[in-house]
Amino acid sequence: MRIADFTRSTPLRLAAAFALAIFVLTGAVFATVYVAVTDAWVEQLTRVFADEAEKAAAADDQRLRRSLELRLTRDFRRLNYVALYDSSGALVFGNFDVRPEIPADGAARYIADFRIGPNAPAEPTLVVARQRPDGSVIVLGRGLDEVATLRRILARALSFAILPLAAAALALGFVFARRTRRRIGAINSAIAAVRGGDLGARLPTPSGIDELDGVVGSVNLMLDEIERLLGQLASVGDNIAHDLRAPIVNVRAGLEQALARAPRDAALRQPVQNALRQLDRAMTAISALLRLSAIEYEHRHSAFRDIDLAALCAELHEFFAPLAQAKGVALTLAAPAPLIRRGDADLMREALSNLIDNALKFTPRGGRVAVEAGEAAGLAHIVVSDNGRGVPAAEAHDIFRRFIRAKTSEAIPGAGLGLNIAESIARMHGMALAVSDNAPGARFVLAERR
Amino acid sequence: MERAVYVCEDEAELAQAIVGELAGRYPVVVSETGAEAVAAARAGRALLIVMDRKLKGADGLALVQLLRAAGDRTPVLMMSAMGAVDDRVAGLRAGGDDYLAKPFAMAEFSARIDAMARRVVDAPATQFVLGSLSIDLVARKAQRAGRAIDLQQREFQLLEYFMRRPGLLVTRQMLLEQVWRYRFPANSNVVDVHIRNLRLKLEKPGEKRLIVTLRGEGFRFDADS
Repeated sequence: MRIADFTRSTPLRLAAAFALAIFVLTGAVFATVYVAVTDAWVEQLTRVFADEAEKAAAADDQRLRRSLELRLTRDFRRLNYVALYDSSGALVFGNFDVRPEIPADGAARYIADFRIGPNAPAEPTLVVARQRPDGSVIVLGRGLDEVATLRRILARALSFAILPLAAAALALGFVFARRTRRRIGAINSAIAAVRGGDLGARLPTPSGIDELDGVVGSVNLMLDEIERLLGQLASVGDNIAHDLRAPIVNVRAGLEQALARAPRDAALRQPVQNALRQLDRAMTAISALLRLSAIEYEHRHSAFRDIDLAALCAELHEFFAPLAQAKGVALTLAAPAPLIRRGDADLMREALSNLIDNALKFTPRGGRVAVEAGEAAGLAHIVVSDNGRGVPAAEAHDIFRRFIRAKTSEAIPGAGLGLNIAESIARMHGMALAVSDNAPGARFVLAERR
Repeated sequence: MERAVYVCEDEAELAQAIVGELAGRYPVVVSETGAEAVAAARAGRALLIVMDRKLKGADGLALVQLLRAAGDRTPVLMMSAMGAVDDRVAGLRAGGDDYLAKPFAMAEFSARIDAMARRVVDAPATQFVLGSLSIDLVARKAQRAGRAIDLQQREFQLLEYFMRRPGLLVTRQMLLEQVWRYRFPANSNVVDVHIRNLRLKLEKPGEKRLIVTLRGEGFRFDADS
């Protein structure tokens, strides 16, 4: 299976969408937790802080200084910065000398880049300023490093959890996609086998996908019925052909005898000769039909032995070469290496003969018919191509059906079963016969199936 | 008493036509069940036997097998309307000397009978000389009036086939079956072209035609003695 095929697979796309959804939803949950936790933390700090500033503003100088020093030295984790400015704005005491630009209204504010001196590093800080009754201003600050740390920890936890989760979802989706694809692939190749003419092929059951089992079962029953009907149809056809043979044999023999006895100048000679010719045409068609059925239904593989397909091509090339020459058609052969396969040499000869004969029939004087035998990736193929009138694309599929001949070929005699016979022989040998456009002309490829 | 052709065929009309065809050339006896034919062969009264594969109440194939098992070598022409792929193989394997699928043209049938009755030159000869033409089977060389004729292998086989049957009708089907050994109805026009090419090699301008075409029937080798 190619990568491109795989990425086009619906189950895989569903799996990817599923993984993405898990990623987004989990991410949203984490983000909510993240925001909720850190915001609550800051909000709580803000309230505590405003309260503290109010108390500090109300206290007298002496107690304020003592309590603040105590806080700075002992409780440094909670209060980092303290400063007291007199009413003129000069620093009375404290551990930073630049008064932040905030109103002294006792409300806590968040300053993202607070600096304790002009050259100090910036840090996110919660700052509160409050005016005291004597006009001086107390400023308290608290670094929010912990919040940043908490955020970092949360973010790391999030990324550690969410990526494996999404990856796992994707992997799971991948596995299911492959499983589904494989099973649908098995069904599809069974259908392809039926389409290829193997009416005995059935879809695999159980399919492995519960919802499909019902459909697969119905399709198999339908195929049983089609096979039965076709078998009936074929045997009716065979019986008719068989029953027609005896009377035709007798009529033909009688007419011949009459002709032999008739005087040289009898008026009946011409009509009798015409009748004999028409009977011969009927016999050819009937014989071909019976032969086709025999090949299709006997399936005698017991006559299979090692045969050299390349040698058979060479042999038939030699057989047809004089006819091609007489017709003014170049018949070329390219079968350089022996191509040994199991098969029935007589039937394979017949198939090749039909293909070459057909190509010669439909190639006008000055044309070319090429016979090639070769091997690609261990699979044998024989190609008979011509640059004659070709097979219209619309008829390419029908050409192997009984009695169907290209509409353009009506002027050329033949019962129209040669290609059917070749196709049946190919199938019997595990090969497929396909026709394609040779631009111009037709290209018949007899190829081993994988 | 002259030996007769025994026709084992239960289709009355076909049997009648066969009798009509052979009348005047051979004594003919129709044997519906094949029993008389076998008895006649055992008694040495049969020239050859025409045996349908499926007879009323008898199996033609089994009858021939029986005959062969008893050591009888009377030539047998098998006929069959079964149409199976290996009917021919089965017929020949059972001991038939030739096989003809029904329906067939009377000319075809006649040619087969003549070839069998006249005992085609089967002998393992190494040389044939017929008139001005001679072939050497060992050296695979042919000469006409002292002139060497360059033949390809298949052309040589064709010529040998004709020279073993001088004066007899040889049908296209016989050539396909017995020279090319094709067991399927191949395009018989191809045979004509092969024969034409062979003639071109055999005949210088003004020389007598050796392989003549019998319209609607086949070919015949006529020596120019």
